[in-house]
Amino acid sequence: MNNLFRRIGLAFRIFFRTLFNATIAEQVARIFAGGAPAATPTPVAQPKQPPAAKPPARREAITLLAALQREARLVDFVQESLAGYSDAQIGAAVRDIHRDCGVVFERLFALRPAVAEEEGAEVDIPAGFDPNRWRLTGKVAGQPPFHGRLVHPGWEATICEVPTWSGDPAAARIVAPAEVEVR
Amino acid sequence: MSAKYVIGIDLGTTNSVLCYTLLEAERPQLELLPIPQLVATATVEPRTMLPSFLYLAAGQQAGGGALDLPWAEGRDFAVGELARRQGAEVPDRTVTAAKSWLCHSRVDRRQPILPWNAPAEVPKISPVTASQRYLEHLVAAWEAAHPDAPMAEQQVVLTVPASFDASACELTREAALAAGLPPDLVLLEEPQAAVYAWLATTGERWRRGLSVGDTLLVCDVGGGTTDLTLVGAAEEQGELVLRRIAVGNHLLVGGDNMDLALAHYVAGRFAEKGVELDPWQSVALWHSCRAAKETLLSPAGPETHNVAVLGRGRKLIGGTVSVPVDRQSVSELLVDGFFPRCRPTDRPLRQRISGFREIGLPFESDTAVTRHLAAFLQSQGESPERPARPTHVLFNGGVFKADVLRSRLLDVLGEWFGGQAAPRLLQGEHDLDHAVARGAAYYGWTKHRGGMRIRGGTARGYYVGIETAGLAVPGAPRPLRALCVVPIGMEEGSETDVPSDEIGLVVGEPAHFRFFSSSVRKNDRPGDLLSTWTPDELSETDSLEANLPPDESVDEPYVPVRFHVRITELGVLELWCVSTTSPRRWKLEFSVREEA
Repeated sequence: MNNLFRRIGLAFRIFFRTLFNATIAEQVARIFAGGAPAATPTPVAQPKQPPAAKPPARREAITLLAALQREARLVDFVQESLAGYSDAQIGAAVRDIHRDCGVVFERLFALRPAVAEEEGAEVDIPAGFDPNRWRLTGKVAGQPPFHGRLVHPGWEATICEVPTWSGDPAAARIVAPAEVEVR
Repeated sequence: MSAKYVIGIDLGTTNSVLCYTLLEAERPQLELLPIPQLVATATVEPRTMLPSFLYLAAGQQAGGGALDLPWAEGRDFAVGELARRQGAEVPDRTVTAAKSWLCHSRVDRRQPILPWNAPAEVPKISPVTASQRYLEHLVAAWEAAHPDAPMAEQQVVLTVPASFDASACELTREAALAAGLPPDLVLLEEPQAAVYAWLATTGERWRRGLSVGDTLLVCDVGGGTTDLTLVGAAEEQGELVLRRIAVGNHLLVGGDNMDLALAHYVAGRFAEKGVELDPWQSVALWHSCRAAKETLLSPAGPETHNVAVLGRGRKLIGGTVSVPVDRQSVSELLVDGFFPRCRPTDRPLRQRISGFREIGLPFESDTAVTRHLAAFLQSQGESPERPARPTHVLFNGGVFKADVLRSRLLDVLGEWFGGQAAPRLLQGEHDLDHAVARGAAYYGWTKHRGGMRIRGGTARGYYVGIETAGLAVPGAPRPLRALCVVPIGMEEGSETDVPSDEIGLVVGEPAHFRFFSSSVRKNDRPGDLLSTWTPDELSETDSLEANLPPDESVDEPYVPVRFHVRITELGVLELWCVSTTSPRRWKLEFSVREEA
């Protein structure tokens, strides 16, 4: 009897603690799943954080790819085999794709040269230069400053305005929807 | 409540733009608002232009939050870029050119009539509601970006075509107020806004560009409409001032006609090669032609250019069809088709319309902008042989991005007025896409700070139709006369009594008046009664009505009245019937209902 009352009491405690304590609930879940309860982790004082910004519904890379396909048909072009087409046929398609990709690049990234100097100019690279902005090739020896010829002024995105996507997660990887012409 | 910003809104036929600046700025920094909008389903991107298109989704398409915006969930319609794209592929469900419908007085613009000619199962909305939706989108985009400065508390300037009559302005204001714009909203004529944009970029140096006696022609060719205005520079109390002299009629011809004409021509070239384009390809062709237009029209461009339509399915290269198009033909088609060389005494060609004509937008039958320009200058000159001569030209609208069209128009004007007197391009920056919104914001700022203003008053004169008394002849309508109530150039913030005989208004039933406007009869004064006029001089607009409730204190079946007009500080035209026997008065309202 005693035993039974004890068990009823325990059942109620488990019920309420499972209901109101996430850690207990997880341990109970493990017992029911057949595993051993994990040692209670030492509670770490969690600083009260504002709710984090909602994570984007899909990766920006997919949204960018979708934009390039929608506006410039870039995915269709790359996915198609060039074998069997003449250069003229390819050229006819590429002009439009090139133009439309350029429009998207300009609107989303506004690409500009990464450094101000003209291609072919003599440039001095001071000590403490940013290796992400300058890539040195050739006879790189000793300590900066270095001196050399600018063979490529690089590119920099002056803005990054990839659209935001808010669709159903099930469609998060759809780059281009299937199109049906209703008759 | 005090305004922090002044906001200029260009509610365009094909694109809308919002520009703003701090009201108290010493020198205004005119910023364009990035407008988040759907560019594809569930995909939102900010752009500086909001295409004025509205897509009415079919049931399922609106599901899954496909048409959600950051500020609205569960939408079943979309405004902006997505709607523009749908306009090409699903035309039956897309509202286009709502603004052109606003000034079309042969249909009831508060009735759900758009998309025009759509099948019965498609939900429809009115031109006023469509305009309201575009403005609501701009309001929401503004408030998302400036949560501390609600639109209704800011100083807002909304632009309308100079050729809009009082009724179309009233409907625009109605849509604006419903969208949450403030009641002290100011309406500004678009060509004037373009001039303000020029003033904003030149600052105090503008006086070097224009001098006393100069006349500026503002030539605004947008996507769907062409708007012509003359602005004069004069001296008043030792100061150089600008005065809007005249505005042209509302012309439904613009850049879209040019793209369509080119697409039609290229489709013909495809047909010669045995390639028939399906509807989807035709849309893609239109898009290609829009882009190819500038290359093909550029004097430095190649002699021939391949216009291609990419394959529809995944076989993109294999499905691509292309034809070479030579520059000569395109230049003939577009430059000579839309800006032909003509004489200053020419008039637009009117095609005879035979039999039944479907009511739709009254597109111009003559697409030659130069002939419309000739007619406009003739109407403003001393006589058709001595047309008004502008000294300078300011271009506005995306069409003029093509150099060749700007220089053709200047060439033609040069031929009309001779080498020395040839109108010159106004020096300064011309931001063809955003000038109107920029100018509107600058105008709001200058109005607040007491800067340079373009004067001019009302662009049109207004006339009330009065049926002459006399014996009725069976089968013949009574002769109609037109009583001038508002002269051209009546200033904002002024009012006047209209001298006339007493007019009897029947008590207890609505009184209707036919209503006319004129942009050419400059010498008419209030009270002048015209018995004849040509169709070019006066055009009929929406009728006016007043509802006089029965008055127990008066036994008479009718009340004798005279008219009293007032132009408010905000430019709203108010027409009152004032009783001559009692202190009572009744306001006349526009009746935009379809006439039986």
